[in-house]
Amino acid sequence: MVAELKHEISQNAYIKLVLHSLKHKTTAVNGVLLGRVNPQNESVVEIIDSVPLFHSNLALLPPLEIALIMIEEHYGSKGLGIVGYFHANERFDDAELGIVAKNIGDHICRYFPQAAVFLLDNKKLEALPKGKDQSPVMQLYIRDASKNWKLAGPDGGSRLVIKEPAANVVLSDYISSEKWQDVVDFDDHLDDIKMDWLNPELFK
Amino acid sequence: MVSKTEETQLNSLENQVDNGGGGAWEYLCLVRKLKARRSEKVLKYGLSILNDPKKRSALGPEEWTLYEQVAIAAMDCQCLDVAKDCIKALQKKFPESKRVGRLNGMLLEAKGSWGEAEKAYSSLLEDNPLDQVIHKRRVAMAKAQGNISGAIESLNKYLEIFMADHEAWRELAEIYVSLQMYKQAAFCYEELILSQPTVPLYHLAYADVLYTLGGLENLHTAKKYYASTIDLTGGKNTRALFGICLCTSAIAQVSKGRNKEDKESPELHSLAATALEKDYKQRASDKLGLLTSALRSLKT
Repeated sequence: MVAELKHEISQNAYIKLVLHSLKHKTTAVNGVLLGRVNPQNESVVEIIDSVPLFHSNLALLPPLEIALIMIEEHYGSKGLGIVGYFHANERFDDAELGIVAKNIGDHICRYFPQAAVFLLDNKKLEALPKGKDQSPVMQLYIRDASKNWKLAGPDGGSRLVIKEPAANVVLSDYISSEKWQDVVDFDDHLDDIKMDWLNPELFK
Repeated sequence: MVSKTEETQLNSLENQVDNGGGGAWEYLCLVRKLKARRSEKVLKYGLSILNDPKKRSALGPEEWTLYEQVAIAAMDCQCLDVAKDCIKALQKKFPESKRVGRLNGMLLEAKGSWGEAEKAYSSLLEDNPLDQVIHKRRVAMAKAQGNISGAIESLNKYLEIFMADHEAWRELAEIYVSLQMYKQAAFCYEELILSQPTVPLYHLAYADVLYTLGGLENLHTAKKYYASTIDLTGGKNTRALFGICLCTSAIAQVSKGRNKEDKESPELHSLAATALEKDYKQRASDKLGLLTSALRSLKT
């Protein structure tokens, strides 16, 4: 039986990934989500932070392996692990979960079976400034009993919520001020190790 | 393809212009020379020159190059009215121009009128069957419509004729990687390394692909190419240094239980590890602890 989980993502983790996608509009990007199962409520996965990973050649192993080792090391010492994977497709019209995303998702499930994959919803993102939608601009994918990735339906079951209800307002603000310029990903770090993939100053 | 020094140069010039320090024209020329994609800035600064009659006439014949550059940048930013105006100006000046015809094709692409764009390009190709730009636009169109296999087919056909087009080989390699067709990607990088053996980027990409493919032989070869990348970059390439460590670790894993002895490996691995630690200590000391643990976990 597949557990029906609530994936609760923090505002900063959420915004960081969307800004990363906006910084690299012309390529696919990805990232990992850090968190834990809520100690008081096993049916809630708390996503506390995120690390933007790459904006080029997402399907090459070496940079991914290095990134995962360092990220797990850093967050492990805080009692957090990788609980999800984020992916944004290259093309606006592409709303499919591609093979690379599925494979990386599978890999993360080996260490955290309840892991979910989050796919950027381009149409929702485009509509963001015009509406008052509080729901995340991401689609949630869960693995079913046969280990196939399925879109989580709106009709109950697993769902994704943003912890802070006004997150989309804050996100829209950041988009207007082009805050995405400040996001650093692991690719940037590998190109210049002075760049900090933890983005400590991003939301200060 | 832009080297690190070129990118730094471009960025500092961009900063200068952003902060009111002038140099817009130099910036636009550099973007053009490096074939960088900075469409928002090009649009902003290009228009500021074009909309100022004094600045525009000061460009002389370069005015038309700027119109073309801004038209393309405008299309990239979906500012189709601006693009149309620029193309109109060019059409007026060069009424029979194939180059302007190409821009019209691109405008149709930008509008999503794929069928019409294809018609425009086909007719241009009738008179100019060897127009490389138009051939590549067709690949771009296939890609934009999500027809990746079509893009691959067209790109392969293109490379049969224009086999010296390095950017096209790179594009093909990256498309293959995105589809996890690593063997085919490896072939592309082999072509690139053959024709430009001193470009470290190709050695690095080839090594990454081989590592991803896996298997003892590929891992050994990957290690060699990480080593040649380090050689070609004076030891400064972080990715290649990590690559050496990853390879050594993976080779040891795969060779477990076999009698293979890899005598050269411990030296190369520890050299790479030391180089990384030294660099992190100097430039990213807050991450040094993470690096050390990572390297420890890779030490078999």
